[in-house]
Amino acid sequence: MRRFFTLTAVIVIALLAQTTVFADVRLLGARPELMYLLTIVFALLEGPSSGAISGFAGGMAQDFLLNQPKGITALTLTLVGYAVGLLRQYIVSPSPILPALMVAGGTFGGVLFYGVMSFLLGQFDSTLPYLLRVAALAAVYNAILTPLLYPLLRRLAEGSRSQKVVRW
Amino acid sequence: MALPSRARSARVLVVALVSLSLVTITVDYREGEDGPLAGLGRVAITLISPLQEAVSKLTDPIGNFFSTMVRLPAIRAETERLRDRVAELESQLGTTVTNEQRLHELEELLAVQESLGPNVETLAAQIIASGVSNFEWTFTINKGSSDGVLMDMPVVASGKRLVGHVVQATTDSAVVQLIVDPDSAVAGRLETSRQTGLVSGHGDQDLRMGLVDVTTDVEAGEQVVTAGYRIPGVAQGLYPPGILIGTVSRVLPEEVALEKFVTVSPAVDFSTLDIVLVVLSNASR
Repeated sequence: MRRFFTLTAVIVIALLAQTTVFADVRLLGARPELMYLLTIVFALLEGPSSGAISGFAGGMAQDFLLNQPKGITALTLTLVGYAVGLLRQYIVSPSPILPALMVAGGTFGGVLFYGVMSFLLGQFDSTLPYLLRVAALAAVYNAILTPLLYPLLRRLAEGSRSQKVVRW
Repeated sequence: MALPSRARSARVLVVALVSLSLVTITVDYREGEDGPLAGLGRVAITLISPLQEAVSKLTDPIGNFFSTMVRLPAIRAETERLRDRVAELESQLGTTVTNEQRLHELEELLAVQESLGPNVETLAAQIIASGVSNFEWTFTINKGSSDGVLMDMPVVASGKRLVGHVVQATTDSAVVQLIVDPDSAVAGRLETSRQTGLVSGHGDQDLRMGLVDVTTDVEAGEQVVTAGYRIPGVAQGLYPPGILIGTVSRVLPEEVALEKFVTVSPAVDFSTLDIVLVVLSNASR
């Protein structure tokens, strides 16, 4: 139950930050994609299932504020969360920049996937170079934000873990 | 099946969530603007817009601070340029005083002339948030259907410059699609030649005006205004005629000799926009 509330609160705050604070702070014209960052960090911390769930929930929340077919972001982020969660199980590097690298890669792939999906649904009509540029900028931007947000999200995730389950 | 049960249940979960997303996409795509999902979307916007307004008020100074930092080198260059300009202008000031008086009179005449046109009723609204994704160029404003703001109403900035139109209205807020949105298309008219064309958005890049007659003489700096009529199937006749869209920035080399393409830099700087006017009544409708 506590997890549910934590996740809801984090998603709402991320959406608010995305549309207000970060709407003005653009890097070469692109905004960060906070929901992608959130999903990837949760997937890294909690594994594929939690990654997929938080991706789906965050994606749906973001979709319902968009004026286009709802569900595309949810689909993208479900897959991103699951993929990052799976990948995490095969990487044993204790490197502190690993989260930033995973966030950059995940965001890049996710935004590309989103762009392609939107294009297929006739929602987004632009060129591939533009899409690649946006994906790369969002990835860089998210990677920069990761060191700032990762410790915070980790504390939230650990605090909300069910106490009864013994993990090792 | 040698899969451990946790990995298997994760797989089932992902398949379920992906199917759910696909169902949502399909249902919403088929229902369009009137379906229950679109309704839910409006509810979500209604719920979040007061929060956005509050956060926006609190964090505007912080956002401004960071965006100033990002633009610092550009600002420094700008300061240099402006300092030179001030010196230059100060020397001109003496001769321009009389000209200014004349300009004032002309401007007043112009305003009177404009007010004699179709009776246009407007409503001022503040921008409280901008679109969520990198692929959408929209604003949320703090006026909604309870203030008379409805779908498809044109939105202009001060000085009769075109901003976009309302694409979604809830009780207390509305979403405005900007003319730079890739989905946006506006019928425009070149001021000098009176030729019309279709002005479509290209996100961060300049607007692009197509369907212009090849024989037209176009030069950079020429103003483009709304034509105020409907191009069947392409541009809706949403906007009253004569609203400034922007100025021609470049005439593209003709690749095909059937139509001319020019790029138009918008008259409005969308990143600094704060207050906009929603056109409530419109004689052409």
